[in-house]
Amino acid sequence: MSEPVYQVLVVEDDPHLAAGVVENLRAEGFRVDTVSDGRRAVEWFDTHHCDLIVLDAMLPGLDGFAVCRTLRERGTKTPVLFLTALGEATDRIRGLEAGGDDYLAKPFHLQEFLLRVRAILRRWEWYRASARTAGSDVLKFAGNEVDFRAFRGRSWNGEEQELTEKEAMILKVLAEKPGEIVSREDLLEKVWGYDVFPSTRTVDNFILKLRKRFERDPANPVHFLTVWGVGYRFIPEPAP
Amino acid sequence: MKRTRLFQITVLLLVVVAAVQVGYWLYDQHVRGVEKTAALTRLYDQQAAAARALLDGGAPLQRVQETFPDLAVNAQKVELAPEHRAALLAEQQHRLTQYQWEGGFFLFALCACIGVIFAALRAETRVLNEQEQFLALVSHQFKTPLASLQLSVETMNLRQLPPERSRALLERMLSDLTRMETMVGQILDSSRLSHGRWDLKREPVLLDATVNRVVSQYLERAQTDHIAIESQVPADLRVLADPIAVDVVVRNILENALAAVAPVGGGTVTLAARAQGEEVELAVRDSGIGFRPDDQPQLFRKFSRLNAGAGSSYYGTGLGLYIVQRLMQLTGGRVSASSEGLGRGAEFRLTWPMAGTQAESHA
Repeated sequence: MSEPVYQVLVVEDDPHLAAGVVENLRAEGFRVDTVSDGRRAVEWFDTHHCDLIVLDAMLPGLDGFAVCRTLRERGTKTPVLFLTALGEATDRIRGLEAGGDDYLAKPFHLQEFLLRVRAILRRWEWYRASARTAGSDVLKFAGNEVDFRAFRGRSWNGEEQELTEKEAMILKVLAEKPGEIVSREDLLEKVWGYDVFPSTRTVDNFILKLRKRFERDPANPVHFLTVWGVGYRFIPEPAP
Repeated sequence: MKRTRLFQITVLLLVVVAAVQVGYWLYDQHVRGVEKTAALTRLYDQQAAAARALLDGGAPLQRVQETFPDLAVNAQKVELAPEHRAALLAEQQHRLTQYQWEGGFFLFALCACIGVIFAALRAETRVLNEQEQFLALVSHQFKTPLASLQLSVETMNLRQLPPERSRALLERMLSDLTRMETMVGQILDSSRLSHGRWDLKREPVLLDATVNRVVSQYLERAQTDHIAIESQVPADLRVLADPIAVDVVVRNILENALAAVAPVGGGTVTLAARAQGEEVELAVRDSGIGFRPDDQPQLFRKFSRLNAGAGSSYYGTGLGLYIVQRLMQLTGGRVSASSEGLGRGAEFRLTWPMAGTQAESHA
């Protein structure tokens, strides 16, 4: 089976940099579109879709963080790689909180950029492939139900839940190994990649969100258990 | 820097403590003066009472007068001698006046010190914050052409490119280097302007010589970007300004116009000057990306970058027009900009006071 041809959208206002990124992505076999400002990037999604967005943070009009947030609010799950001159840890966190998947500070190494692009697409492909597999596209546990393909669920009290792609991916990783301990590092590696976050505490925040959605008593969880100092264990049907 | 700051804050605290001490000393002296006068008055009252008792007991008037020399004693009444009362009041008044003047002066001097040190500390904090912000913005502005340069170099290193592609990449790299060089110049100019280190003269400057010299330096770049530059400046027009400032202003305005025309694939830039009463106006018109009328106030702001959309992009430093406005303000001129909208070009008008005779003029 031949490798799929991925569509990438490059949002960069500097024409030279945009041209360099586009040329290299095309040389690697990607289909690439480019827009030069934030508002047009959001409008682009009205009529197009893609597998990855390479997004500059400092854009005229609507900045990259706002673009990412707007797309996430509209339900666009497409992974985002921030490419920006803002390299401080706080900026990285800002980008990832806005819904970004990875962050590369300018100036960057071409090979590292290409590796990160491929890593994001690989993680995304893993999620999509495993969500496509019959029987594993829907997770049911203790009255909760999660549709991994639609990023939607229904909790034990009948409340509809709209999951972010990160919540869905974390749940997917945990659900693949029910009852087993999954370390925070494993979750980071599978869901974000290696060195994106300054702290594994970020995973904890996502686990808290999952507990709020699916636990009867989030303060005393029975499905998403913390294994102190190691990681998490997912128990679909706890023993009474 | 931290040690200096610590020292300044310590001195400020010491001066504040000294001021409080002087204030307390003034208050204390005032209270003590009043108390001392009251004690003396009480003592004289007691003496008067004793003298009265002696007189009432039948003591001879002369003896009582000798025993209490500070009192005025006669058969009808006993009281403090008027010269002693006057001396007592005069001494109290003298002390109080002395304390008020000396203490007041010290207090004033100390408060002035506090004010000066506090203002200096505040000014220093503001300058430090501005410098930090400036540095952050400057480094950000540099990272984009640097990233583009690195990407081009690594692309050539990673891939086998046909000669025409390599040439195109080399041209892009040269353009990025020019961009960075322009940035360095603009950052230095902007820094000099911000810190008031530009010793601006006011002398007659021959406008057409400056415009022609600047235009000639940009002809090659304009040709590459398919831009025609037309200059219509009468030969005898002289403006009253700083010659270097006029050069920098024209250069930045032309740079801005070229950057606006290049993204639309080429066009024209026209520089036309004319006398208008006591002033000279240089209008620089371009057929470039233009700007939204709403964006007009942002044009001259430091580090503001506008994007016109429609496939165009502006990759300046965000300093050029700021420098133009500051220099025009400082040399008694003004600048304004207008555009009919995105994609419809723009016009920048530079206005200087007209200068005197040709004999004095400089190019």
